[in-house]
Formats: sequence, C-alpha cells, structure tokens
Amino acid sequence: MADEERNDPPWGRPVQSDEVEGRHGGEDEGRSEQDVAHADGDDYPGSHDEAEPRHDSGDYDSSEYDDDAPDSNTQRDVVMHSPEGDADEPDMRVTNEAVPDSIKDQTREGEEPYQWHSGTKRDHGSTDAIEFIDVKKSFGRNTILNGLNLGIPDNQISMILGPSGTGKSVCIKHMVGLLYPDEGDVLVHGESVPNMVDDELFEMRKKFGVLFQDGALFGSMNVLDNTAFPLRQHTDKGDEEILEICHRRLAEVGLSGALDKMPNELSGGMRKRAGFARALVLDPDIVLFDEPDSGLDPVRTALLCELIQEVHAENGGAYAVITHDIMSARRVADYIAVLWKGRIVESGPASELFNSPNQFVRQFLSGEARGPLGME
Amino acid sequence: MGWLSVPKDWIASFGDITKFMARVMGEVYSLRVMKFFGESLRQAGILILGSAVVIWGLAFIIGLTCGIEGAYFNRSVGAPAYAGVFSAWCDLREAMPYAFGYMMSAKVGTGLVAEIGAMKISDEVDALEVMGISSLTFLCSTRLLAAWMVLPFIYIAAVGAGFLASYLAVVQQIGEVSSGGFFLIFWMFQNPPDLLFSVIKGMMMATVIVLVGCYYGYTAGGGPVGVGTATAKSMVLNTVAVHIIGMVGTQIFWGSNPRAPIGG
Repeated sequence: MADEERNDPPWGRPVQSDEVEGRHGGEDEGRSEQDVAHADGDDYPGSHDEAEPRHDSGDYDSSEYDDDAPDSNTQRDVVMHSPEGDADEPDMRVTNEAVPDSIKDQTREGEEPYQWHSGTKRDHGSTDAIEFIDVKKSFGRNTILNGLNLGIPDNQISMILGPSGTGKSVCIKHMVGLLYPDEGDVLVHGESVPNMVDDELFEMRKKFGVLFQDGALFGSMNVLDNTAFPLRQHTDKGDEEILEICHRRLAEVGLSGALDKMPNELSGGMRKRAGFARALVLDPDIVLFDEPDSGLDPVRTALLCELIQEVHAENGGAYAVITHDIMSARRVADYIAVLWKGRIVESGPASELFNSPNQFVRQFLSGEARGPLGME
Repeated sequence: MGWLSVPKDWIASFGDITKFMARVMGEVYSLRVMKFFGESLRQAGILILGSAVVIWGLAFIIGLTCGIEGAYFNRSVGAPAYAGVFSAWCDLREAMPYAFGYMMSAKVGTGLVAEIGAMKISDEVDALEVMGISSLTFLCSTRLLAAWMVLPFIYIAAVGAGFLASYLAVVQQIGEVSSGGFFLIFWMFQNPPDLLFSVIKGMMMATVIVLVGCYYGYTAGGGPVGVGTATAKSMVLNTVAVHIIGMVGTQIFWGSNPRAPIGG
C-alpha cells in the first residue's frame, strides 16, 4: 500500500469500514435494536479525539501515515499536506479500481478522480460540533459520499461548497439522521448519530434548526402557527409566551406583517425567512441551511446572508450553510469546506481557502470556466 | 427469470405495507399518538366536514337503488309485500359496506396520499423529523385514530340514510306495500348483530384504506408525478382490498348462518 490508498481522514484515525457495525443503509433497518454499537467500542469512542490510530489492521501503511500524522491529538489542527504540492504531486490519490463507477463517470479521461483532493483541514480554532468520519453513502449504483471526512466547527458560520449533485444536501440529511451512512460515522457533539435509538435521535434533533430549500412550511398552517409549532410540541410554555417568542423571531426576519398568511400566499424569499424564524424558535445549538440562496435575487440573497450573520452574532452556535453561491460564501463564511465527488477537497478558514493554491479550489471559488472542473 | 420479478415485487410491497401498518397501529395502541391528540381531533373534524355528507349521499342513492330493485323483483314473483327482505339485506350487509368502501377509497384514501405525498416531496415530512417529531406518528397514526373515532358513527348514519332511501322507494314511490307491512318484513330479516357485523366490515375497510393511503403518501417520491402514481396505486389496492374484505366478511358473518326466517 503506497500513496494510492492514503485517502484516510487527515485529522484522525481512519475508521475501517469493517469496524463499524451501526445502523446503516436505511431509516428503518434495525433502528430499534440496542446492539448497534461499534464492534470495537474501546477503539472507537464517541469522541474521536480520544481515538488512537490503530495500525494493526493492515489496511494502510502505518509508517507513511505516521510521517504525516505524528500525533493523533494534534492532527485536527495542522495542515496535513502541503498545498503547494497538490498540483504536481497529489497526496490523496486512489486507484481507479477503488473508485465507484459513478465517480469515475465524473472524471475526465486520463485523470485521477481524487487528484485535487488534498484533504487539507486547516485549523479553525474551535471544536467540531459535527464530524463526518470516512462516510460512504450510495443510492443504488450511484455513490454520493465516498469517504467523506468533515468537521463543522462550533460557534462559526461554515459553508459547504461544491458543484451541483456532489452530495451537499445528502450531507445535511446525515447530520440530522434522516439518512444513515453505509459506512463510517457521523458525530454530533461527540455522539454517534447512526447508533442512536429513536428516542435519542428525536432528542438529539432538538439541538437542530434546519432551513430547507423552500422553507418546508406546513401548508395547513399560517406563518404564525408554523413558527409556533416547535414550541407547542416541545415546551410547556403558555400561549402568551409562545406568541411573544414567535413575534420576536418573525420581526427579526421581517415578517411581522405576514403572521396570518398561508405559505402559498408567500413569495419564495418570505417562505425562506419564515422557515428561518421557525428554525430559530427553540434556540438551537446547530442551524443548518440547505441552499438558502436558491431562487432568490442577488439583493435578497445579500439580505438573507446579512440576516444569517446578525442572528448568528446574537445567538452563537454552529451554523452550516450548504450552497454553491460564491458571493454568499464571501459574505458570511467563517469556515469553508469544498466538497466534490463525495469527498472534501480542502477545508479551512474562509480567508485561507480563498487564497488556496489548490487549482480546483481556486477555480471553484473564483467561478472560472477553465480548470479541473468541467461539465462531466 | 424475468417474469418472477413481478410477483417478487408484489410480495415485497405487501411485506412493506404490512410492516408499515403494524408500526402505525402500534403507535396508536401504545398511546404514543396521544401526544398529538389535538392533531387527531383536527383530522376528525376534517373527516366529518369533508367526507360525511358525500358518504351519506352515496349511501342514500344506493339505498334507493336497493329499494327499487327489490320492489320490482318481488312484484315480478308475486310477493310485493316482501320487498323489505331485499332492502334489509342489500342495504345492511352488502351495499352499504361497499358504498362506504368505494367512497372512502375515492375521497379519503386518495386525499391522504395526495396530502402526505405533497408534504413528503416538499420536505415537510423531513421538517417534522428534524424538529424531533415522529412524522409517522404525527401524520399517520393521528389520522388512523381520527378515523376510528369518527367513522363508526358516519357509517351507522350512512346505513340509516340507506334504510330511509329504501323506505322512500318501496313505500312512497312504488307503493305496493304499506309502511307497516314493509317494516314488519324489513326488521324480521335483520337483527342487532347484523348491524355490528356490518359496522365491522365497514371499519375493516376504513382501516385498510386509511393505512394504504398513508403508506403510499408517506413513501411517495419522484416529485409530483410520483405522488400521482402513488395515488393511482393506492386506489387500485384499496378497491381490491374493499372487495376482499367484503367477501371475507360476508363468508365469516353470514356464510354459515344467513339468519333468514324462511320456512319457519
């Protein structure tokens, strides 16, 4: 095993697929089973900060791994690979044999599928609220995530950027347990999502606020009832207090005058803002935005970005925004991860990513037509 | 073998539907659904306001048909006074359960698929889940509970509408038997257990229709076209299920003992 198979997570012990026996592949499968814990619990505790690299599996070359990662506890906070070397001698190459056909189909002839994936994870100065560990996910023959390693830092606005159809929305669904990985693990505040039983999962989801692409407002309720819905379901607050919270949140997003309107009476932007207000009423620790700028004009996109920043400044927490709009990324992102072909190309603080020498990252973040990304 | 894939798919679908039904009913029996009792009441209100009059209207028309057919048939065999036999059996045992099943399939079942399916493709179901609310319980079990709370009464009222229609057709419209003569025979050929059995048939149909509707809505995918396809599939399955339940119910409840006071 040489270079070709060094596609391990750059900031921690690689989780071998045969070590994880969680609930994978379907929402229903085995959900009620209590014995879905990892087969090797000692080697794979909830917080993977504590995990020691285990080199006895024979699946990768330990000496080469150690060259790059001398201390597992510091791996997260260092640049693992020299960005300068990416273009000439990529570190994360895998052989075509190891790559699913659906990923090969996106690759130009004669190129390595992951030659631009340096996997570099620059220090973001915070702990990770959400972690993806070597996550693989396929739908039929179509592989969407192929060994995804990603951390979403706490108390920052993160942006997951990437070309269309590269698995960004699938990422969000893994974070909240709407989808489960075929292999690998997803941790939220150190707890493994695929290994949660139903009650734990529903409890964990209360930490989240999610803004879906079209707001996902309930069609049978007006804006006020939509916003009040999570509070009515999850809290013992009186109606007066609930209404006070809803009015405040709706005022923040500029919808004080639309309380009685039904979702079908709202514009796309208003639906998004109403969805944003609803996502915030429970004061979530983590807020996820699935393409908040889709279908909005540039001015409203800018206003929504401003709103995200303001609300984050007021409430804090981990905000993760899925988008392929570079302007939005420039406006609000503290941290950026670039996703392509089911893996992270590079991730790090926004200012560093925008100056990255990686050709793919540079092409994508500047929106140029010429570069590694084509129409494949 | 290619042709084997079709029955295999049917069996797989049947297994999926059965598993889904068990989960939804489990949420009702375990009383988890009571967390959303308000939603059940809202759904019950929608059933009463949206479907009751339509079901009663259809029941009335079927009752008229049973009465007219029965009256003319009995006249043709020289026993017009016995028109009540036809009305009693037709209305209570067969026509009402089927009419109820058809209308439930057409209105309630397809409505459920369309409503839940639309929620599914517009991410509303996912939105429920990420709020920490079991979408299966909130969307499906509440509707099943609402159906169980409301539909027995709607069904009994529908039977009443059918009886009234038969009476009007036989006694008031055709008029070859007196009111007293009609009712003498009419009540002689039915008893309270028959009503209970009829209600059981109707509720079995209603339960299956609601669950099938919820299943196809909850598992809908592929955008609006997918919801349309799921609606059509649910209608087909519900129509077949209504007839199977009707046939099995008749065999079980009246197959061995028709309870007909004929020949002493």
